[in-house]
Amino acid sequence: MKKRKIPALLLNLFLFVLSVVMLAPFLWILATSLRLPNDSFKLPPSFIPTTFHWQNYRDVFTTFPFFDCIMNSVKVAVFSVGFNLIVSTMAGFAFARIPFKGRSFVFLAFLAGMMVPTQATLIPTYIVMSKIGLVGTHWSLILPAIISPLNIFFIRQFMMTIPDSYEEAATIDGAGRFRIYWQVFVPMSTSVIIMTSLLTFLSTWNSFLQPLVYLSKWEMMTLPLGLKTLSGMRNTGSVSVVLAGVTVSLVVPTLLYAFGHNYILQGSVMSGLKS
Amino acid sequence: MAENTGLARPGRATRYMRNKRRMDNLSGYLFLAPAMSGYLLFIFGPIVLSAVLSFFNYSLIQAPKFVGLGNFQRMFKDSLVSNSFVNTFKFLLILVPIHCVLGLVLAFMVSRTRRLQSAYRTAIYFPSIVTTASVAIAWAYLFSTDTGVINYFLRFMGGSNVKWLTDPVMAYVTIALFSFWKFIGTTFLYYYIGLKNIPETYYEAAQIDGASTMRTFFSVTLPLLTPTAFFVVVTNVIGVFQIFDEPFLLTNGGPGSATRTVALEIYERAFLQTKIGYGATISFTLFLIILAVTIFQFMGQKKWVTYDYE
Repeated sequence: MKKRKIPALLLNLFLFVLSVVMLAPFLWILATSLRLPNDSFKLPPSFIPTTFHWQNYRDVFTTFPFFDCIMNSVKVAVFSVGFNLIVSTMAGFAFARIPFKGRSFVFLAFLAGMMVPTQATLIPTYIVMSKIGLVGTHWSLILPAIISPLNIFFIRQFMMTIPDSYEEAATIDGAGRFRIYWQVFVPMSTSVIIMTSLLTFLSTWNSFLQPLVYLSKWEMMTLPLGLKTLSGMRNTGSVSVVLAGVTVSLVVPTLLYAFGHNYILQGSVMSGLKS
Repeated sequence: MAENTGLARPGRATRYMRNKRRMDNLSGYLFLAPAMSGYLLFIFGPIVLSAVLSFFNYSLIQAPKFVGLGNFQRMFKDSLVSNSFVNTFKFLLILVPIHCVLGLVLAFMVSRTRRLQSAYRTAIYFPSIVTTASVAIAWAYLFSTDTGVINYFLRFMGGSNVKWLTDPVMAYVTIALFSFWKFIGTTFLYYYIGLKNIPETYYEAAQIDGASTMRTFFSVTLPLLTPTAFFVVVTNVIGVFQIFDEPFLLTNGGPGSATRTVALEIYERAFLQTKIGYGATISFTLFLIILAVTIFQFMGQKKWVTYDYE
């Protein structure tokens, strides 16, 4: 017994220290965002707020269209998730439950799409967007986000595990394919749908390269790009104001995590990730 | 009887089957139509178009001009481009082992704990969901040479300042540290889920046989996790080939061009200098390399991935 206790203690000690290191930067960001702008760089650093200069938070909203950026990010993420999930659940349902001709070939082609680097599709997509006048608009970010091979894969894996009997019962009751999809499979796949929605929301919320390429006006920018622009302009100025913006940008991912981390776990355990 | 001649009216059952098959094909493709259009418009189409574009000079304003293999010839002689490929390979060699091995080690360690398991899981996973750009801005302050918090601690412990962002070698260390902190949660979670999927009975059997923790890990856990590991390695390699955010936000490719990756090069050529055709040439080459490496990995998976335990 004794032999076992020491490794367990060491293991916990190691993981505890690691956890502190992983979370320390967030504490530093929060503590520094509340410092007086002139003291931003003053050492020693603090990890627990010692001053409460809330003015920094007001400044980030007034010196820069920060509120617009937040709303732009929300808009892009919400529309992307909405469209993506309609497209992905329909495709996942077809791949999992309809034995159509050429199914495995088309599925493989979709999976191969995961290998395509963003940079390779970005250039031609940019040209098309500029020809149809969408550069600078949020549609240039939303439209390409509706397709995600990984989401289709997750949803297919999940829908394959739903027993045939549900489908058969619905067919006997006279339901057509679309009703089976919409009233049986979609409600039964809630956990994987929430998981893919969360991951899609976060990836669009956090995306940087696409906004950088497509958006140049401040009032159109999404949050990450806006913050980068702000920090670039204030490189020497008040770091605390920038960090106030950083703190605000972390609120939405934190809330989503708090609400959804169990779904992320459950959903991925159940879709099995075994390919 | 009617079915045997093959000429007469098909029987009711055959007709039903044929209709069903036709309906299946029709509804299959109808359900797939939105995804298919998205796939053709935003993945397949652009790849074909970027292959075509790599034979042209194009600046968005003037009409494209055919230059044959000119762009490719130029690319092979362009020392900045070859430098960016070398840098990207350096990142592959550093980051892929970090994420694929340490993610597994941490997942295994966390899965062995009891009471604090969900707290550890949160601490390790949480950074991977927050906005990269935001935290990279913060880390750039933490890493700064004179005023940064990290050097403050180094000095406090008797060390001297490290040029985290301005030394060509240290810049890689810095990006690796940031990448570990920011993204280890992703691979950690995949492995953690893989571990959760291993039935408890395997461990019980190992325990009855008197296997030690280490022995259990190497003989039971690891073989059962190879499919997860394969998925993690393949997606990680594809991801690091495209690495953009970390060098762009932390070092901006610097100092000099020490950390300029292919993705940064493409961004600069195609979008800042609007040499669209040349940018397409580099990005299509990147695609071909990723494709070759991924196919190679799938061919090699038989050697180490076991799928047969179910």
